[in-house]
Amino acid sequence: MRALCWNGVNDLRVETVADPEILNLRDVILKVRLTTTCGSDLHLIDGLIPTMREGDVLGHEFMGEIVDVGREVTKVKRGDRVVVPSFIACGQCWYCQHDQYSLCDTSHPKPELQEPLLGYPTGGIYAYSHAFGGYAGSHAEYVRVPFADTDCFLVPDGLSDENALFISDAAPTGFMGADFCNIQRGDVIAVWGCGGVGLMAQQSAMILGAERVIAIDRYPERLAQAEAFGAIPLDYTKVDVIEALKELTGGRGPDACIDAVGMEADGTGVQHAYDRVKQALYLESDRGAALRQAMLAVRKGGTLSILGVYALMDKFPLGLLMNKGVTVRTAQQHGQAYVPRLLEHAQRGELTPAALATHRFSLEESPKGYHMFKHKEDGCLRAVFAP
Amino acid sequence: MNAVTHDSSLDADARAAVTIGRPADELRTLWLRPDTQSRIWSHFADVTPIDERTAEWVAHGPAGGEYRWRTELAAGGTNELRWSSSDGADVANAGVLVFQPAPGDRGTELHLDVRFDPPGGPLGQALSKLFHLVPREIVLKALYKFRALALTGEIPTTDPQPAARKGGTDR
Repeated sequence: MRALCWNGVNDLRVETVADPEILNLRDVILKVRLTTTCGSDLHLIDGLIPTMREGDVLGHEFMGEIVDVGREVTKVKRGDRVVVPSFIACGQCWYCQHDQYSLCDTSHPKPELQEPLLGYPTGGIYAYSHAFGGYAGSHAEYVRVPFADTDCFLVPDGLSDENALFISDAAPTGFMGADFCNIQRGDVIAVWGCGGVGLMAQQSAMILGAERVIAIDRYPERLAQAEAFGAIPLDYTKVDVIEALKELTGGRGPDACIDAVGMEADGTGVQHAYDRVKQALYLESDRGAALRQAMLAVRKGGTLSILGVYALMDKFPLGLLMNKGVTVRTAQQHGQAYVPRLLEHAQRGELTPAALATHRFSLEESPKGYHMFKHKEDGCLRAVFAP
Repeated sequence: MNAVTHDSSLDADARAAVTIGRPADELRTLWLRPDTQSRIWSHFADVTPIDERTAEWVAHGPAGGEYRWRTELAAGGTNELRWSSSDGADVANAGVLVFQPAPGDRGTELHLDVRFDPPGGPLGQALSKLFHLVPREIVLKALYKFRALALTGEIPTTDPQPAARKGGTDR
């Protein structure tokens, strides 16, 4: 089959690789209908996440049609159109049974690579380095999906592939981030980042009853999409974000701040210059401008919900959290806990993930798609590939 | 004994623990199933059961070396399993697996302790180098695989898989 392979820093090529096979009895093979870029892929492509290997097939956000099933698969069958969360979860362990699916105890095939870094291994994820399992990704004609009965969700008739696609990752990640905020009547939620996850977090906060949602970014087309979703846009290159947030909240500060940016944050001023230099010299892996700002902005006793992907950031101003009594919630997405609900929201038109699909490419054109996505050319929010 | 095996940092005593949400008797039965041992130790050695209490182990060392030994299960209490290698082992070793009730509804704690005791001489040195890097990983990975098998009936794998070319390097 054809697949998009990582060959080194910023070296992506579409190559012919072996077709995936059923390896365990609960696996299925999916013919990929749509698969999309994610901001977190950029950390891999840029070489900021170790344990990538030449030839790794990228892609962890996808949907498709089941074409082969293992003998012990009972809930889904050949021909089903399904969406699959990016973290692989068994559904049987303590974490899965407590809706913490990305912490699955049994789906990581190489836990010895991750246990020294994190203390305990997480669940496995498609195409996110060998320290996260080494599973082949979805930017390919076919992908193997383990634990299909837990991880494959039927897409209802009438819901488009484009809407279903982002319920694999951007939508459940964003929804989880809003869910972490425990939104109460009258709450104001500020979201840093208007990429796919940030926009989905904004729509989710509205679904969960936020009084007002404020969206922070610098790209006009992304801020325009946030505004179209009903958020108040703030361009951090044009206003002092902290002052603007105080103004918009009567001096209280947002009740919760969601970081949907992560370790390659843009920013302004001295701190951003410092971060860029340190990252370029490999003295730090993370540029944390958005996170630092969110920590300062959040009201006393508020919630900081972290969705951005980070590695091992130094100079973390913990005192802001401690002295303000801030609750921090964070996780990789527990998608399996949210997908059924999100499919319903999408069917009712309350959640409109297809708006993220600004650019569509064939698999052969996927390196070009990543280039556009990385450099945000032509207002590219997400590049979608149809193998 | 040579200098390497005298080094206390060798840490040939490898311990690890996992908690599995199943009762101890069920886990003990699964552990003793002949195919379980070959599946959970496959990253380290080929294990072939000879009978209910005895198994043949072949570990593959660096540069194509093969190291063989036989283990025998000892009589033990109901909350533990003990085994040790027979005389003439290339790598003398002894293991004990203790089953303890976990708090609340967490199931059973498994505490595994394997003592590797490589002999001296050139062979021992080679093994020491090999084990110097990995004894805890060997044991921990076996326990993680056992937990997956106990909870899901399968062991996660990507092998064979097309995610990376053979010989690809970490970047």
